[in-house]
Amino acid sequence: MAMRAALRCLSVNLSPRLPQLSSAAQVSATRLLCRSGFPRTLSTDSGQCTALKFTEKHEWVLVESGIGTVGISKYAQEALGDVVYCGLPEVGQRLEQMDEFGALESVKAASELYSPLTGEVTAINTELAGNPGLVNKSCYADGWLIKMTIEKPEELHKLMDQPAYDKFIKSLEE
Amino acid sequence: MPAMRRAMIPLARRRSGGGTVYHDLGNLNLTFFASKKAYDRQRNLKVVTEALRRVCPELDVQATDRFDILLKGHHKISGTASRLSRKSSYHHCTLLHSADRSALSSLLRPSCTGIQSNATPSVPSPVANLTDHAPSLQWEELLEALVQQYNSEFGLTSALTPVSPSDESLFPGVGNMEAELRSWEWTFGKTPKFRVETQLELRDEQLAAGCSAYLHMEVKNGLVESCRMDIPANWLPLRLSSTLSEVLLGERFCPHRAAAALTVFLRSESGQLHRRLCNLCEVLLAVMG
Repeated sequence: MAMRAALRCLSVNLSPRLPQLSSAAQVSATRLLCRSGFPRTLSTDSGQCTALKFTEKHEWVLVESGIGTVGISKYAQEALGDVVYCGLPEVGQRLEQMDEFGALESVKAASELYSPLTGEVTAINTELAGNPGLVNKSCYADGWLIKMTIEKPEELHKLMDQPAYDKFIKSLEE
Repeated sequence: MPAMRRAMIPLARRRSGGGTVYHDLGNLNLTFFASKKAYDRQRNLKVVTEALRRVCPELDVQATDRFDILLKGHHKISGTASRLSRKSSYHHCTLLHSADRSALSSLLRPSCTGIQSNATPSVPSPVANLTDHAPSLQWEELLEALVQQYNSEFGLTSALTPVSPSDESLFPGVGNMEAELRSWEWTFGKTPKFRVETQLELRDEQLAAGCSAYLHMEVKNGLVESCRMDIPANWLPLRLSSTLSEVLLGERFCPHRAAAALTVFLRSESGQLHRRLCNLCEVLLAVMG
């Protein structure tokens, strides 16, 4: 069900430029987009809400097996400029939704990071200590920031999905 | 660090990132609070440069694209840092009016050579005080000019108002914030991983003898993660150097904590070994600052 809903969203994004695709074609289009480094919007874990979700603060969260991976969006990393230092929380730290959990330092400023959900930090991306630029180069994959448990799954449902986030960005740019 | 301790100068880590700043009563700190939308560092620095030009028209001051302010094109008189949050921002900068230049340069000089890390390298700049080039510029005159220029730039009519930054009724929660900012965990415990690789010069005064040893230490989050000392076996038995390394593991990279941990260990030996161990500990503590 999640797959079908996401495909519908995908075709809404594509429709201004491409003719309507058949189901089979839609599936292969999705696979192509995922492989080409487009944000991974789909993951096929059973029973979990696993599409990429976004906050108004330009963080994304991707859920797999009950753990949410958190990062910042392309819009956010572009606005930040080159990240030179990542101040991240400790593993085990408990975060409420909207709690400040760290900051990313760039030439622009030290910008605060806000927790998209309520939960406990299970991992932090230790690669960022030596390579903070990963946040710019690979914001949806290698530049992930933290992983956390999902204490209140209902919070996830209130976050924006990809099309809603894209619309949100457009409204900001006006 | 040792110079700071001797001069009893406190160390604070700010939440806006960037390099180390020396502050005394001759270095003015300006903070511009604004909404995130209105965040504009160049505009804020224009307030400073225009104010300076009004009180001292002969001053050649210019903001750079790195948000420094330079006097005569090469002396840094101001540096900038800032923080963005959900809907608001602050931009703060220094302004060297009449700071103690010799304290500044001695305290900002690293005391431990041989530190390696992935931290952004510091870019030292030659600095100057405004009073070096405009000796008649009074502190109060500078403040008044800044207030006037700020009002003019932002279309306001605010008067200069003294506030006490520790006033809990004006700033609820400021006491807790101060305690957190003073804590070891905030100041040192978030230090990026670094390595110390340096040669130690050991000395036995009684025998007028000495030797060189090699120290390799890794520090993560301000705690000693690994420690290796290559000390000639004829100076100190290997078992002692390796036990000493183990004593330091997990301790804060701090001379006070290390000294406490080492004191117990030192009691276990006597005579020549004790003398040499004491010297080794002294040298190690000096590396830690």
